[in-house]
Amino acid sequence: MMRYTIRPAQIADLAAIMELEHDAFASDYWSEASMRDELTASHTSYFVVARTTSAEPGYRVVGYAGLAKLPGSTQSDVQTIAVESRERDKGLGRRLMEQLIAEARRLGATEIFLDVRADNPVAQHLYESLGFETIDRRKTYYQPDGVDAIVMRLVIPAATEVQPVVLGIESSCDETGVGIVRGTTLLANVISSSMEAHARFGGVVPEVAARAHLEALQPTIRKALAEAQISLEEVDAIAVANGPGLAGALMVGVGAAKALAVGLGKPIYAVNHLVGHVGADVLERGEVEVPTIALLVSGGHTSLLLVRDLIDDVQLLGETIDDAAGEAFDKVARLLGLRYPGGPEIDRVAAEGDPKAIRFPRGLTLPKDMEKHRYDFSFSGLKTAVARWVEVAQDSGQEFSVPDVAASFREAVVDVLVSKAVNACLDHKVPRLLLGGGVVANRRLREVAAERCQANGIELRIPAFDLCTDNGAMIAALGAQLVMAGRQASDLGFGADSTLPVTTIQTA
Amino acid sequence: MALILAVDTTAGTSVALLRDDRVLAEFGHDSGVKHAELIGSAIHEVFERTGVRPQALDAVVVGRGPALFTGLRVGIAAGLMFAEAVGAKLIGAVSHDAIALELYSSDGSLPGLPLLITTDARRGEVYWALYGGLEDAGIPVVLAGPGVGKHAQVVVALEAEFGSFTERTGGASAQWVARLAARQMIAGVASEDTTALYLRAPDAVMPKPNQQFGKRVSG
Repeated sequence: MMRYTIRPAQIADLAAIMELEHDAFASDYWSEASMRDELTASHTSYFVVARTTSAEPGYRVVGYAGLAKLPGSTQSDVQTIAVESRERDKGLGRRLMEQLIAEARRLGATEIFLDVRADNPVAQHLYESLGFETIDRRKTYYQPDGVDAIVMRLVIPAATEVQPVVLGIESSCDETGVGIVRGTTLLANVISSSMEAHARFGGVVPEVAARAHLEALQPTIRKALAEAQISLEEVDAIAVANGPGLAGALMVGVGAAKALAVGLGKPIYAVNHLVGHVGADVLERGEVEVPTIALLVSGGHTSLLLVRDLIDDVQLLGETIDDAAGEAFDKVARLLGLRYPGGPEIDRVAAEGDPKAIRFPRGLTLPKDMEKHRYDFSFSGLKTAVARWVEVAQDSGQEFSVPDVAASFREAVVDVLVSKAVNACLDHKVPRLLLGGGVVANRRLREVAAERCQANGIELRIPAFDLCTDNGAMIAALGAQLVMAGRQASDLGFGADSTLPVTTIQTA
Repeated sequence: MALILAVDTTAGTSVALLRDDRVLAEFGHDSGVKHAELIGSAIHEVFERTGVRPQALDAVVVGRGPALFTGLRVGIAAGLMFAEAVGAKLIGAVSHDAIALELYSSDGSLPGLPLLITTDARRGEVYWALYGGLEDAGIPVVLAGPGVGKHAQVVVALEAEFGSFTERTGGASAQWVARLAARQMIAGVASEDTTALYLRAPDAVMPKPNQQFGKRVSG
């Protein structure tokens, strides 16, 4: 599996850079001496793209770019940029340019200039998409080909403009979450859970959850503001999860978020709860590396997503056709006389058990099921199989090991979850898997995911637990991504949608 | 002089901006299911139309019900957060009290008489409260309630205790919620309690001990 990293260029990269220079600029390449001067000069910053693969040790330089900025000047110049011909169409040129823009800003430049060949529309388009504008044309500048140079300029947006403070509200199930982010930086993430109130019912009761949201709203917001050490006036935008989830619960968050937005005179972004789980990763990595497969597992959802772009392209590959995985844990825990919530209890008891003691069925994994439901899940049959197995054991008067049943059940759930997620990665040639949702706390799920991802060359991402379980920070993070991409705010008339599809990342 | 925003979602979505007793702007929509959709624009509109700055508000009043849960919560949540955003005082008012105030104030045939206010509670029941006119401060006197029950049973029980009364059914409007709160503020009896008046336990089935799944097929 391949991975591309951008890092400052070193003099040791010179030979590799010269090879690319000849490849990219056949008729007008720089000499090695000029390139050496560029790399070592005090007023230039050079970066390379290093490709590493699991198949071979070390790295290979597949792209480079340089920026020049003189001390005291507010102007900077793109000196050169090149990507190996076989590695184009992977967004590496864009990443290098974004690196140069960030570097120019860091050095105090307010403008960046560049020259581009008039016969290279692909490059011009890339620069335009980054905000560059054409300001001049130099006739027959590139020799010996006699091609015109187009001069482009970008006025660098101030860093403060692209780091909005966003407050996010999450109320889709039994957690009232308020999170505050500045751009991709987490400022606060406060979660108030009504889990205890549901315990005696053995599962989340929608009306109990909705009542708890209303009660938790004010204290949770105040705590989040205190944690972030900001006042509401400093918030630039409000984000709220408007689905999917429990309708009555979602509506509490939607009503609250709208009133905050109107009261503060700030824009509001209605975002998808499930895509929010994926967006949580920007708070740890600064971005969500794409494409990625995302496996979201909680008491309410079991979904497999293909994310090509966090704010533009999310596809649902499959989901549970009956119970969510977390729900299955709760029900089997009750059957075994364990407490609610079932996940942690089964995890605890299973530690003493043999996962191979009983071979419970793996839902939707038979060849005929795999045709229609390759990425779908089913846990209802498994839950019933456990119940029947326990009944038979009880009726025959045999002693049986609860830890063995718990471990074998857990193994069946985890096996199906991870197998299907890894299949999705391999089928779509996506070398990354992101886990999200409360069930990610399950120790065995993390272990098996780590083992099988490593065996298949897949990079596994598991954000910190407070960012995996339902939370407001992930909603704020996704909202901030929309703000930074210049997206229009949502119209105030949006509603809560309990079955909001993942393709609706933002409700307009 | 008090500038008050009132939000009541016990029937439709009702929002009003008042200076003392005078309505500056009002938004009303009688849909009983579109509260979450409407609430943002409703609040936005009353400020937009009047040019009043939200930060100038003295108080935000929310109708606490009793009412059907889902819609009720949207209004209370919005009122709570609006007060938080603009730094206004937060007040809770019983929505049936506001209905009583409206009827006593606008229906000349009623003053003095005991008045039963009922609203639909579904499942063959009503939310109710019984009033005995207005006191000196112009605030309805609560004789009994608010409660929830079968209409016929409620009437029989109340007649046994209070004698005859007039009955009206209705829905609360935000402007009367605001007027009620304004009078309560002047009289020093306004309440900061904004908890929802559900009057019913959540619908939830307790699992049977050792409950298993479906019917047994063996044993």
